[in-house]
Amino acid sequence: MNMNRETDRPPVQNSTMSLAKPAMRGLLGKRLRFHLPIAFALSLVAAAAFKYGVTEPRKQAYADFYKQYDTTKEFNNMRDAGVFESVRPTGE
Amino acid sequence: MHCGKYIKSQTVKLCIVVLHIDGIRSPLASRCYSHAKVETDEEFDARWVTYFSKPDIDAWELKKGMNTLIGYDLVPEPKILDSALRACRRLNDLASAIRILEAVKDKSGPHKDIYPYLIQELQPTLIELGISTPEDLGMDKL
Repeated sequence: MNMNRETDRPPVQNSTMSLAKPAMRGLLGKRLRFHLPIAFALSLVAAAAFKYGVTEPRKQAYADFYKQYDTTKEFNNMRDAGVFESVRPTGE
Repeated sequence: MHCGKYIKSQTVKLCIVVLHIDGIRSPLASRCYSHAKVETDEEFDARWVTYFSKPDIDAWELKKGMNTLIGYDLVPEPKILDSALRACRRLNDLASAIRILEAVKDKSGPHKDIYPYLIQELQPTLIELGISTPEDLGMDKL
C-alpha cells in the first residue's frame, strides 16, 4: 500500500516509502494557545466597535434631541392633536 | 508545568490577562501550582501499552481504555495502538480494531500527515493480524 498517495507534501526521508514522524501531542493545546487570545481580542474589538459605532452615537442623538426640547410647546401640540384623555384641546 | 500569564493589551480597553492553556507539550495531568511529579511522555506511553497488553483484558476494559485514550489531547503512539490492536485480536474483535484506526484518523484533525505515518508504522501489525484499514474497505468515503 503506497502511503505517499495520501500525503500532500513531499516526504522528508531519503527513501520515498518512509514518512517522518509528525508531531502527535498537544495539538489542540497548541491550537487553543494560538486562537483563543485572538478570539478574545477580536471579541473585545467587536464590543468596542459596537459601543462606539452604535450605542454612543445613539445616546448622543437622544441627548442632542432633548437638549433643545421644549416640553411645554410639545405638550400643547399633543394636547391640540387630541391624544390626551385627561385634558381636552384648547378651545373646547 | 509552568502556567504563566501573558498580557494582551488593547488600544482602547485596559490590559487583559489571559491564562496559558497548559504548558508546551506538557503531559495531560499537570496542574498549575501542583508539586506532583509529572509523568513523562515515555511513562505515559508505557503505561498504556501495559494496559492493553493484559492477557485477559476484557471487552469493557478495551472500550474504556480506548475511550479514555481518545479523550486526551494527543494522537496515540504506534506502540500503544499496536498493543490495542493485539488486544482486539485476543478478543476476536475485528470491528473495534478497524474502529481504532478510524478514531486515530479523526483525532489527527486537520493534520493530514499523522494517519499515513501511523499506518506506515502499523503495517507489519496490520498484516500479521489480518486487519484491513478503513480505506481498504471503502469505509473512508461517505
